[in-house]
Amino acid sequence: MKMLVVYQKLGLHRFLGHLDLQRAMQRALRRSGLPVCYSQGFNPHLLLSFAAPLSVGIQGEREVMELPLGEPVAEQDFLRRLNAALPEGLKALQARLLGDDAAPAMARLEAAVYTIVPREAAPELLAAVPGFLAQTAIPCLRKTKSGERMDDLRPLVYNLLVKQGALHAVLAISERGTARPDQLLASLAAFAGVAPPRCAITRAALLDGRMAPLEDP
Amino acid sequence: MNRDMGQRLEMLLEEVQRPARYTGGEVNAIKKEWRPGRTAFCFAFPDTYEVAMSHLGMKIIYEAVNAREDMLCERVMMPWADMADGLKAAGIPLYSLESRRALSEFDAVGFTLQYEMSYTNILAMLDLGGIALRGGQRGERAPFVIAGGPCAANPEPLAEVVDAFLMGDGETATVQMLEVIGAGRREGLRRERILLRLAGIPGIYVPSLYESVWHEDGTLAAFTPKVEEAPARVVKRVETDLDAACFPAAMPLPYTEAVHDRIVLEIMRGCTRGCRFCQAGMLYRPVRERSPGKLLEQAQALFEATGYEEISLSSLSTGDYSQLLPLIRGLNERFEGRRVSLSLPSLRVDGPLQEVLADSGRVKKSGLTLAPEAGTQRLRDVINKGVTEEDLLRAVREAFEAGWNSVKLYFMIGLPTETDEDVLGVAALARKVVDCYYALPREKRARGLKVVVSASTFVPKPFTPFQWAAQDRLEEIRRKQGLLRNALNIRGVTFNWHDPETSFLEACFARGGRELSPVLLRAYELGCRLDGWSEHFNFQAWLQAFSDAGVDPAFIAHRAREKDERFPWDFVDIGVTRGYLWLENERALRGQTTPDCREGCGHCGLRRFEGVCPE
Repeated sequence: MKMLVVYQKLGLHRFLGHLDLQRAMQRALRRSGLPVCYSQGFNPHLLLSFAAPLSVGIQGEREVMELPLGEPVAEQDFLRRLNAALPEGLKALQARLLGDDAAPAMARLEAAVYTIVPREAAPELLAAVPGFLAQTAIPCLRKTKSGERMDDLRPLVYNLLVKQGALHAVLAISERGTARPDQLLASLAAFAGVAPPRCAITRAALLDGRMAPLEDP
Repeated sequence: MNRDMGQRLEMLLEEVQRPARYTGGEVNAIKKEWRPGRTAFCFAFPDTYEVAMSHLGMKIIYEAVNAREDMLCERVMMPWADMADGLKAAGIPLYSLESRRALSEFDAVGFTLQYEMSYTNILAMLDLGGIALRGGQRGERAPFVIAGGPCAANPEPLAEVVDAFLMGDGETATVQMLEVIGAGRREGLRRERILLRLAGIPGIYVPSLYESVWHEDGTLAAFTPKVEEAPARVVKRVETDLDAACFPAAMPLPYTEAVHDRIVLEIMRGCTRGCRFCQAGMLYRPVRERSPGKLLEQAQALFEATGYEEISLSSLSTGDYSQLLPLIRGLNERFEGRRVSLSLPSLRVDGPLQEVLADSGRVKKSGLTLAPEAGTQRLRDVINKGVTEEDLLRAVREAFEAGWNSVKLYFMIGLPTETDEDVLGVAALARKVVDCYYALPREKRARGLKVVVSASTFVPKPFTPFQWAAQDRLEEIRRKQGLLRNALNIRGVTFNWHDPETSFLEACFARGGRELSPVLLRAYELGCRLDGWSEHFNFQAWLQAFSDAGVDPAFIAHRAREKDERFPWDFVDIGVTRGYLWLENERALRGQTTPDCREGCGHCGLRRFEGVCPE
């Protein structure tokens, strides 16, 4: 059996890198005394997988991780014991016991919802959204190991809305393609002919292929 | 920090590298309320967060001060260059991690002096924190800048910067200093009155209360107190019972990985070996052990508070800890099921190595680290490193037989009396280590031999038998490094060496007097900071600073001293006497070894401290 955990990464904890977060969660689990599992081998490590790494500086409201359990624990007990070991900014919000045969969250992941709030009003940027979406292709510079290449962002932008001065984006995030919020911002700013504004970015949810929250399989 | 400044800080954090170093809020961090009557102390580590969070001393002092209801202790570290410049540009003062207050708001800021190359960071941190760089320029409301740690044993290069130094163990003395500062401020005493009171605490040195006079040739002629409150000799503090001394039950758990990110158990303080180059071996005498029972208790508490995956044992000579086997067995028994591994750093090779290796082999295998320090027996006798080639090769053989494949060997270049033969002896020894590996049948040895030979440059240090010695000149060190580099072209061997410029500056600040304060201040003006990081080290700027301040660095680093020369640090009593050090110096030059003092008292001077030496 395994536990799917929804947690937040808010406030100052947004500055944690993915490795930092991994370590912090593993140590919290060890402090909690919950029945975690370890890998075999010379340097065993605690088994824990994250649905999608989150970049330094971006907040997460409903992030998802999964771990196998050595013995059964009730969801509410799990939540209580883990939270006793976690700082507020990384609080666990929900725990769901899943069967071993449940597909890994990482494999079910299809898209993510982002809220992008410009730190200063950016009317030209927001006004450019309809035209931006009307394009048949959105060129985007992507850095790869072998250099830079131009990619088409358009099929990876599932939705983009402007609400109360902020951008709400649903972006693809899967093996078949991923669009990051900073790429979206850069492309949109280039289209609008403005410099990319500084923004507070929050990942609000992770979605599966049905565009339903990942935590509700 | 007001709201506006807080917002600018958030923006800045989005721009700098590894911002989690500057946010605080770690698990186990202690954030106490600031209120009248509570003395606010900021522990300042003059290097980056990753280095600072590896330092056990900071965690001990953090616990000792925060345990007091009438005190609070917060932390601050040297920001990396991007953050330092960002803070300055945004008009944000350097702040403590816990309450985000400017350093200038504290009653006292205390620096730990772990290595000389961190001194410009002290200036940078004071500057960014809104505190005047020179003690004499600090106003009534400015914090007291205090300092302790091993480099405080020769405090003089920082005499113009630091208000008061603490000599020796800090657990009790730091709290006493804060009591005096807190009480003085509550009584409304003037700064200079509080400094006089600090000078009255045993082990405390207040440099502004002393004056130096120099001879024409630049050597020290006299060093005397200006007031009667200041003692002519400052005797170091000693915690006699480590089981009773403060030890943290929890440690702030860094989010970004620290250099040593694990539970550290200090099993023992001090060393009886008497290696003649080693300052720590003299400074931290007498030897005091913590009991295995206490250590197991501490390990348990720390595991529960942190969830760490690894425990390491810390001391100057772990193999000499009398309870090593019971301790390792106890730790293994208790933690094996919880996936906590044990690592044993820097084992001396003549301890009960085999048994220890067999035992620790059940947990994590890290490499074997050995420090022969010199390549020939003659030179090892000179430095009193009581290790023979036979001991060493036996240890290596046993390690290879036990399935280890990596050995690190530490050496020094430039030791007193060193010849080219000694330098080449390093390569000869490395070759024998490699031969030990290949002598084993293929199926019995672990694959992928890795021998790392590191050669640092010898720095003569105060309070060692070599405090009279000259350091090799830069070109001579480079020549010897080249010699060794050629000789070490052996398959499976990696050779590490450092540019000698840093060691040269270390030698200056290790044995310089207060004439170095202006050099330091000038170097900071010229942009020197983060000198311990090669990407920031600017040797030319340092030479400029010496030249501008009219101080000849070669006179400090490369000059052999006469027997009776007065040293800037002579007024500090670390326990070991100058007479003993001179005797050891003479024995060194004769190539005569001195036995471990547990095999018979060598009369180093520690016996004057009642009850500190084991019978």
